Amino acid sequence: MIEQHGSEREALRTVGAPIRRYGGAARVSGQQDFLADLPFPDAAAVALVTLPVACATVTGIDGKRAMEMPGVIAVVSAADLPQPVPRFGISHQDRPVLADGEVLFHGEPVAAVVAETLDQAEAGAREVEVAFEERPGVYNVDQALATGAPLVRDPSRRPEDDENRDSNVLETALYEWGDTTAAAGEAAVIVENTYTFPMVTHFPIEPGGTVAVPTDAGGLDIYSPVQHPYLLQRTIATVTGLPLSQVRVFAPDPGGGFGGKQTPRLEPLLAFLALQTGRPCRLVLSLEQTFQMMRRAACRVKARTGFADDGALIFHELHCDFLIGAYADVAPRVMTKGSYVGAGPYRIPHARTASRAVMSNTTPSTAFRGFGAPQVAWATESQLDAGARALGLDGLQIRRRNLVNVGEAFFRGPYEATADGHWHEALEKAAELIGWGQPLAPGRGRGIAVAIKPGATSGLSQSLVRFLADGSAIAYAGTSDMGQGARTLWQQILADELGSPLDKIRVVSGDTGVVPFDLQTSASRSTVFMGNAVLEACRDIRKRVLALFAESTGVDEAMLSEAPGVLITPDGELSLLEASRIALGALGGEFVGQGTARMRGRKGHPLGGDAAFYEFNCTAIEVEVDVETGELLLHRHVSVSDVGTELNPIQVTSQDEGASIMGLGHSQMEQLLLDDHGVIRNLGALDYRIPTFKDVPVELITHGIENHDGPGPYGSKGISEGALLCTAGALGSAVSDAIGIPIRDLPLTPERVWTALHPDAADHPGGEEPA
Amino acid sequence: MIPTEDQSADEVGADLVVVTCSVNGESARVSVPPHRTLMDALRNELGLTGTKTCCAEGECGACTVIVDGATVNSCLMLAAEAEGCDILTVEGLGAGEPGGLCDLQESFLEAGAVQCGFCIPGQVMAAEYLLRTNPDPSVDEIREGMSGNLCRCAGYQRIVAAVELTARKRATR
Amino acid sequence: MRYYRPATTAQAVAALASQPHTSRILVGGTDLLVAVRHRSAQPTLVVDIKGVRDLTAPISVDEQGITFGPTATMGDVIAHPTVREWFPALVEAAGLVGSVAIRNRASLIANSANGSPAADTSPPLVSFNASVTITSVSGERTSLLREFFLAPRRTLCEPGEMVTSLRVPRPSPGSSSAFERMTRRRGVDLATCSVGAVVDADGAMTVGLGALGPTTLLGGPVAPIDLTSQEQLERAVDALLAPATPIGDIRAGKAYRTAMARVLARRAVLRAAARRTDPDRLTGRSS
Ligand SMILES: Cc1cc2nc3c(=O)[nH]c(=O)nc-3n(C[C@H](O)[C@H](O)[C@H](O)COP(=O)(O)OP(=O)(O)OC[C@H]3O[C@@H](n4cnc5c(N)ncnc54)[C@H](O)[C@@H]3O)c2cc1C
Ligand code: FES
Ligand code: FES
Repeated sequence: MIEQHGSEREALRTVGAPIRRYGGAARVSGQQDFLADLPFPDAAAVALVTLPVACATVTGIDGKRAMEMPGVIAVVSAADLPQPVPRFGISHQDRPVLADGEVLFHGEPVAAVVAETLDQAEAGAREVEVAFEERPGVYNVDQALATGAPLVRDPSRRPEDDENRDSNVLETALYEWGDTTAAAGEAAVIVENTYTFPMVTHFPIEPGGTVAVPTDAGGLDIYSPVQHPYLLQRTIATVTGLPLSQVRVFAPDPGGGFGGKQTPRLEPLLAFLALQTGRPCRLVLSLEQTFQMMRRAACRVKARTGFADDGALIFHELHCDFLIGAYADVAPRVMTKGSYVGAGPYRIPHARTASRAVMSNTTPSTAFRGFGAPQVAWATESQLDAGARALGLDGLQIRRRNLVNVGEAFFRGPYEATADGHWHEALEKAAELIGWGQPLAPGRGRGIAVAIKPGATSGLSQSLVRFLADGSAIAYAGTSDMGQGARTLWQQILADELGSPLDKIRVVSGDTGVVPFDLQTSASRSTVFMGNAVLEACRDIRKRVLALFAESTGVDEAMLSEAPGVLITPDGELSLLEASRIALGALGGEFVGQGTARMRGRKGHPLGGDAAFYEFNCTAIEVEVDVETGELLLHRHVSVSDVGTELNPIQVTSQDEGASIMGLGHSQMEQLLLDDHGVIRNLGALDYRIPTFKDVPVELITHGIENHDGPGPYGSKGISEGALLCTAGALGSAVSDAIGIPIRDLPLTPERVWTALHPDAADHPGGEEPA
Repeated sequence: MIPTEDQSADEVGADLVVVTCSVNGESARVSVPPHRTLMDALRNELGLTGTKTCCAEGECGACTVIVDGATVNSCLMLAAEAEGCDILTVEGLGAGEPGGLCDLQESFLEAGAVQCGFCIPGQVMAAEYLLRTNPDPSVDEIREGMSGNLCRCAGYQRIVAAVELTARKRATR
Repeated sequence: MRYYRPATTAQAVAALASQPHTSRILVGGTDLLVAVRHRSAQPTLVVDIKGVRDLTAPISVDEQGITFGPTATMGDVIAHPTVREWFPALVEAAGLVGSVAIRNRASLIANSANGSPAADTSPPLVSFNASVTITSVSGERTSLLREFFLAPRRTLCEPGEMVTSLRVPRPSPGSSSAFERMTRRRGVDLATCSVGAVVDADGAMTVGLGALGPTTLLGGPVAPIDLTSQEQLERAVDALLAPATPIGDIRAGKAYRTAMARVLARRAVLRAAARRTDPDRLTGRSS
């Protein structure tokens, strides 16, 4: 952690100010080049061949007719790839470059057609004949865990000592302290319920895609809007056998990522197509294809919770089944991390969380804002409310009673985790802003919920900063700027630490060929990790200026000191620019500073290490329910996050507002619906509903608690996920307050709310054929 | 001249339509296959990639442009239909303004409405049309007028603020 | 696919007749181009009629009613003062179609001609007793809109034909109307179901029903009732919804859709009835 003194903070000019987004002008004027905007004049177009079912054995692929179509350059299936077909993945190398004899989810490509134009590639793809036999698949938790269920992964593909190899369970996690069974006797009230959280998809407005360009030297340039260019570089190198130095990844800024653009999916395929055809190969995904490439794990949580008379938690028991999809991706990690904080930020003497990552014949689930935490928080927060109802308490009272104080453990045992912020402040602030306790109009209800999410647990971020002869500066920082405005923050740090004007600062990222390694842009880690690296690089420059100034002028180093933007000499303060000119002398030149932020993991820790910080959020909602239709009208939505320090208030507000509304998406309307063949029925923007302008609550209020107690620059913490962690809990609580009936399945569509009010009218939505 | 039935639906690029129109005040002439959408023609034939593609079926608004004074989802208009039309894209909005940005674009930056930025060109075009047809919109009118433009970063509140800010700026101009 | 922009109705219908089964009319493209993208329509010839000079004018008003031409857009419908005064339910429905940009392009006639049972403007039009004129190389014919819809995506407008005008008779004095729609979210969405209601001066009621059967349906007329009587109102709603055959689909289950039909019918009838004497800001009462 970098020390920051109060007086120094006052000296900051741009940090803490609502500086405009770096790269904003290009984005409002249409000049920003996203992947699909990059010109590749000689690129060939790629179209994918997929099946109309989710689970099948592929018995033959015939590309002859397709090859005869005008413009078609190549038809590639698994047989045309190195054998055995290379597989890749983070924890499990299980995903084949192309479906290898079997299709395990709807949309998994079995072949690719490369042609001169996109029209020709698509026409060619329609002519590829695929012979296949549909197999019974598993599409939900119940099916996947049923005895005798078809296995997504053949046991022969799993390690012999894997105790779950004859099931669809890929991995498990268990967190336990105290003795929940024994504790049951102490509880005054025990509530036991099952909660579900649906499959939802990221739906970035930029669908994304990849261009693979063979280089003259026999290597590959890969263009892909990934949050994680270095992982992609490594993956491509591994599957193709090329050295890292021959694989260069260009990562244009993603048009929205939310976790969905972290891991490689089709890039390895594009790499092989480029190597085989010798042509740059370009695939820009449709929104439908994007749906088939990324989603959040659905989750079913069985919860049993005991409370004392006064509302104090006695024990809390969770069984979480994450429906992860056909390949592992990062889903096992989502399961372990989401479950780690599953019991919530509470003081719980006895707790047990047992979770499973369950494979199914669905889109492989991946990282998605909140990383497993929202799914479990939905259950835990609803349980707190259930306990409160049983005890005649309200949602605020029971949380006041149980929320940990700063420094107090919410996760116990050898790898104890404690509150790293004054979370009660956020709870009270949210209660105040929602008007908790004030009389409610008829038909309305209020709810409040809290949740936490662990930040990164290990990692490495590096940055280089060049301070140029005219006082302008360039930061090289690998963080991908997908909307959170990371570059704006680096720009602010440089401006304050070096005294350079904002408009003379450039930030370079998204090119593994020139930018030093950064682990990834995820887990809201960038502000803390890369921020510290950038800060350290700036301070490194100041030290170098000081040293060279001493050498050039003969002033004793001990007589000099530096501070943000200045060198302090016995004769007074010099701006850093002036000092650097004097230091460099007639030869000129520039200063280069380096910064590294490394966090080592902790051996044996279930997450691999202690979290650098926790994102804490409290959300409170006032809702009006139309009891005739089940429609919800959100009158007020309050989100309060513990942010440490707001480096850029307007960015914090926009992240919090955005996450709040995204949280309303999975709470109110979003869900992927599958048919009996595992085919996504609402594939595309028409029937997969996300919030629009008109779905924004009448009033949406966000607030940041600032205690300058984070490990990031100037006491900041990571933000940007917090505001969706407990949206569902708050909304569910408000709805049940309004209608007197708790609903335990998301999303709270009008139909679901109405059905809760009319239990006799049971009828499966989506049971019959579409009109 | 009535075309004949010698063309199969699948035969692509067999027939080209020549379209002459005005794009951002300059006359443009492109030759495209009849099924080519205006969105694709702007992006590919004219290199105006500020107009974005997301859903390609009218649901998201990323491809919004102004044709003959009214907003259009350019993914649902054939390039061939643009014959003789006057088209304004995001690239043309701030042309000639100091810094290349019009007051509305400036307001988007000022209000913090830009996150990833992918939806923003479409948002800006929809907002420009809204303000042309209703110079002093209420919050509800802004939400209604913009509801065809999705933002997954969900900068909706900031965009509403940007539109209000622009309306105020224009009222005092 | 070829694109053709005829200058006269005769050219247009001749072109349609030349490839009757694979030609399609193009107006706003908001249905057709979506269908082409999904390959649920694969026309060999697209006939863009927006340049046809002798087409019926978009909106023309006379003493007896209003005639809409094929190029009248939802935006035109919403903005027209007489339409607003006479047909508030139509204006409400047209104002809910898609987004502003969609309404700038989507044509009123195509909303019906497309034959979707969920089309928003068809229920009010049916309840207003609208009729359409269908033209082909062999001449013209006229049909009531309520008889126009045959099945999902099938209408009386045969391959090679085109709807050249939509006529809506002026509502009887003292009557009024209202449109209600249920959707899954507040922003742009297709109807889970919809009801357009007309209530006459004497209280007789008619409804048009959307997404409650294979086609847009007509319910009623139902004789006047005492609207303050809950019981009579429920009975009237029963009668008005008699033709409905709601099913479950991706937008809603059958039970919910069935229940919503009742809610919407009740609300639409009450709002239309109230509007007769207490014109709200949308419209005056028909005089
Ligand atoms: C994003 C989006 C949202 C939408 N929301 C709604 C909604 O909320 N409610 C709703 O009801 N609809 C909605 N629609 C559907 C659509 O906008 C309407 O059906 C529209 O009115 C169709 O008009 P158009 O001019 O665009 O038709 P086109 O696409 O040009 O034509 C549609 C079909 O009708 C045929 N046709 C057109 N004109 C004639 C004619 N004169 N004679 C015979 N056949 C003809 C065409 O050949 C074609 O098959 C939405 C569409 C989109 C893309
Ligand atoms: S791309 Fe045109 S509306 Fe989505
Ligand atoms: S700014 Fe990212 S989608 Fe709108």
